[in-house]
Amino acid sequence: MKLKVEVIGVNPPCPRCEQTEENAKKAAEKLRKEGFDIEVAKLDISSRDTVSRFGVIMSPAIAVNGVVKMMGKVPDPGVIERMLRKEA
Amino acid sequence: MEARRAVKTALMLGVIVFFVVMMARAIIGSYTLTPQSTAEDLKGLPLWKIPIVYLLDYAGHGWLCLGFAFTIAGVFSEFLPQSFMLRFMSSGKKISYLVATVLAPVFCVCSCTMVPIFTGLLYAGAGIGPALTFLLVAPANNILADIITIQVLGWRIAVADMIAAGIAAVAIGYFVSKTPWGREFESRFTRNPGNPAQATAVELVKQPLDERLWNALKFGGYLAKRILPAFFIGLVAVSYVQAFFPEELVKAYLTGPFGVIVAALLGGPLYTPTLIEVALGKALVNLGMAPGATVAWLMGQPYDIPNSMSTYRIVGWKIVITYGVLSFITAVLSGLIYGIFVGTF
Repeated sequence: MKLKVEVIGVNPPCPRCEQTEENAKKAAEKLRKEGFDIEVAKLDISSRDTVSRFGVIMSPAIAVNGVVKMMGKVPDPGVIERMLRKEA
Repeated sequence: MEARRAVKTALMLGVIVFFVVMMARAIIGSYTLTPQSTAEDLKGLPLWKIPIVYLLDYAGHGWLCLGFAFTIAGVFSEFLPQSFMLRFMSSGKKISYLVATVLAPVFCVCSCTMVPIFTGLLYAGAGIGPALTFLLVAPANNILADIITIQVLGWRIAVADMIAAGIAAVAIGYFVSKTPWGREFESRFTRNPGNPAQATAVELVKQPLDERLWNALKFGGYLAKRILPAFFIGLVAVSYVQAFFPEELVKAYLTGPFGVIVAALLGGPLYTPTLIEVALGKALVNLGMAPGATVAWLMGQPYDIPNSMSTYRIVGWKIVITYGVLSFITAVLSGLIYGIFVGTF
C-alpha cells in the first residue's frame, strides 16, 4: 500500500508547521514498521503550484495522496496515524 | 476507552464554559478587568517595584480577560468553517472586499498564517485589493485583539476602531489595486492555466468532538505562549509610562484635532504589538489622551515599522509606502470623525 503524505506549511517553517511535519513523520515511521509504504514530503504553502492544486488553505495542512485532509491545526501523531490507516 | 473520552470531553468543555460564564459575570457585574493603578500609586514606589506592582495589578484583573480571549480564539479557529470562508473570499473581486473585512476578525492569526493566506488569495485570483484588505484587517481586528480592546478601552472606542479599521482597509486595498505598481505586483501572481481539480483536492477529515476541543485549547495555548511574553514585557514599559510620563505633555499634545495627528503619528512607527498598543493606549488615556486621539492611536497598527518590514518583503516598498501614507490619513480622519461624533476632542 503506497501513501504520499504532503505537509503544507510556510517557508521558512513556523513552529506549528514544524510540529506538524514532525508528527507526520512519527506516524509514518510507526506505520512503515508495519509494512506500509509511506513517503513524507514538505510543500511550500505560498507557491503557485500549491495554491493551484489546493486553492487557498490554512497552514499547516496535511494532504494524503494529493487531497488535503486537515488544515489550520497541528494533529497529534496518533490522529495522523489513524487517518493514514483509513486512507490505506 | 469511551468513558475516558467522555471525561476528557467534559473536562475541556468545562474549561471553555468556565471562561465564558466568568466573563459574562464580570460584564454583568461590571467588574473591571483592567489595571487600576494610577500615576500616584506608582510614583512613590522604588524603580524596580513599579513593573511588579503594575503586572500584579494587571494579572489580578486581566487573567480572566486573557484566558477568555485565548480560549475563544482557539474555539473560533477550530469550529468555524474557515476553509469555506477562504474559498468565499477568493471568489469574486468586489464581494471579496466585504468578505475580507467581515470575516477577518474570526481568523485568529499569527503572521505565519496570514502571509500564506495573502499570497494564496493572490494566486487564486482574488486580486491585490482584497488580499491587502485582508492583510491589514486581520491583525488589527482579530477576535483576540477585539476582546482585549473592548475590555481595556471600553466598547465604544473598540467598536469605533473596528469599523474604522475595516473601512480604512477596504479603501486602502481598493486604492492600491488601482495604482500601476499595485497592478504590476498583482500580475506576478497569475493562476496556473487549467485546473479542474481544485474543488476536489480538499476533503477534510472529520474529527470526534474531544479531539476538536483539544485542537481548540491547544491553539489557544499556542497563541498565549507566543503572545504573552512580549505582552508582559510591553506592560513593564507601560508601567513606567503610567508612572513617569508627564500628564501635562499628554494633555497638551494628545487632545484636540492636533492631538489626533500626533496620536496617529506615534501609534504607527512606534512599534507595539496590538495587545501592548491597547495597554499603552490605556495608560495614555489615564493620563488624559482624548477619545478621538485614542482611535487614531489604535489605528496606527498596520504601518508600524516591523509590520511594514515583513510586508515589504512580500509586496515591495512602493506598496508599503502607499498603504503607510493612506493608513496615516485614514487614522487621522477616523480620529477626527470619532472626536466630532462623541463631541469631545
